[in-house]
Amino acid sequence: MKRLVPTAEMTLGPFFPPEFAQGLNDLAPGAAHAVEITGRVTELDGKPLDNVIVEIWQADAAGRYGSPDFPGWGRAATDARGEYRFRTIRPGAAAGRAPHINFLILYSGLMRQLQTVMFFETSNDPVLHAVDASRRDRLVAQKTSPASYRFDIRLRGGEETPFFDD
Amino acid sequence: MSTVITPRDPLTQAQGVEAGYAQTARRWPAQPLVRRPHSLSELSGPRVQGRLAEIRGDLAGYGATRAIGQLIRLRVRVVDEDGAPVPGAVVEAWHCNAAGKYIHPNDTHDAPVDPNFYGAARMVAGDSGLVELRTIKPGAYPVPDTNGWWRPPHVHFSVWGRVWLSRLVTQMFFPGEPLNEADAILNAIRDPGARGRCIARLTPSKTTELVYEYQLVVRGRKASPGMP
Repeated sequence: MKRLVPTAEMTLGPFFPPEFAQGLNDLAPGAAHAVEITGRVTELDGKPLDNVIVEIWQADAAGRYGSPDFPGWGRAATDARGEYRFRTIRPGAAAGRAPHINFLILYSGLMRQLQTVMFFETSNDPVLHAVDASRRDRLVAQKTSPASYRFDIRLRGGEETPFFDD
Repeated sequence: MSTVITPRDPLTQAQGVEAGYAQTARRWPAQPLVRRPHSLSELSGPRVQGRLAEIRGDLAGYGATRAIGQLIRLRVRVVDEDGAPVPGAVVEAWHCNAAGKYIHPNDTHDAPVDPNFYGAARMVAGDSGLVELRTIKPGAYPVPDTNGWWRPPHVHFSVWGRVWLSRLVTQMFFPGEPLNEADAILNAIRDPGARGRCIARLTPSKTTELVYEYQLVVRGRKASPGMP
């Protein structure tokens, strides 16, 4: 059977149009029980990175993907301090999975997209358990208030975030 | 119909750290990437059409007068690994002007801005997976703080396929450009065939536009009975 080879991925580069990343980081406009997720994206030596594109994909509160009333997708760019910010709802647990949010990182110097996953607490999840036990806590967000979480992403170096290959 | 994603082939995809591209050594993870099992979370995907509106399918004619440069038309087909078109695929495109200048605060290159050109468009594919972009051919430009690295003319694409793991961000190049031979980004793809497929094909045109055809293959094929 015919099989095409996927197109080679290449870096986003330093000139991604700023307008493409505007107005897309609130996944739950008007929702009463929204949570805020913020974090800093850093490179080697902990240097924060400006204009990193962060995209997320998640289930709705009932653990369903692609529900018509909750699209579940958002995009943010980091600011000069390396900080991104999303407003969303806490997802429910999909079959066989603990509540989580998929993260995708695009940036100059990244020849391919990087994929990681944020969990809300240490959980018995097959993707979290695919990561070495010593590094799993880096995928668990820090709860900073009843409705806010912090999830820092360290691309390379000390306390490096685990990333997935698929 | 469910989608299957198989591991990336190291010959047809870049591997992360590239000697000729210094930023990769500061940003690509030092630890090996982790293989994970796939569930609906990775094998379903967002319908981004609802949040990402089409903008500017004609970059050459966006301003008061036509943008400066060689008028071109890109015919880009989005297909999956089975060769099946991806109807409704969203494609973002961006590129510099004919003098090699982006309208972006990061661009410090001493080249003129064309007031009639703004190089960013978003398109949604029809049933045949085809998107078309009328624009001008981008120029080449030097990469700052490198020892003579010039980027060849190229167009950036950001594409959503059928599922979360189909997301594709890439660059398209033009045939016959000497700078293609030395570009650290294009040549990070080791397989000559895969690299060649990143170069658009010039096709005969009877209009005032040079027409280039290109194919974007997003990851994923249909699960067939009996597949593990």
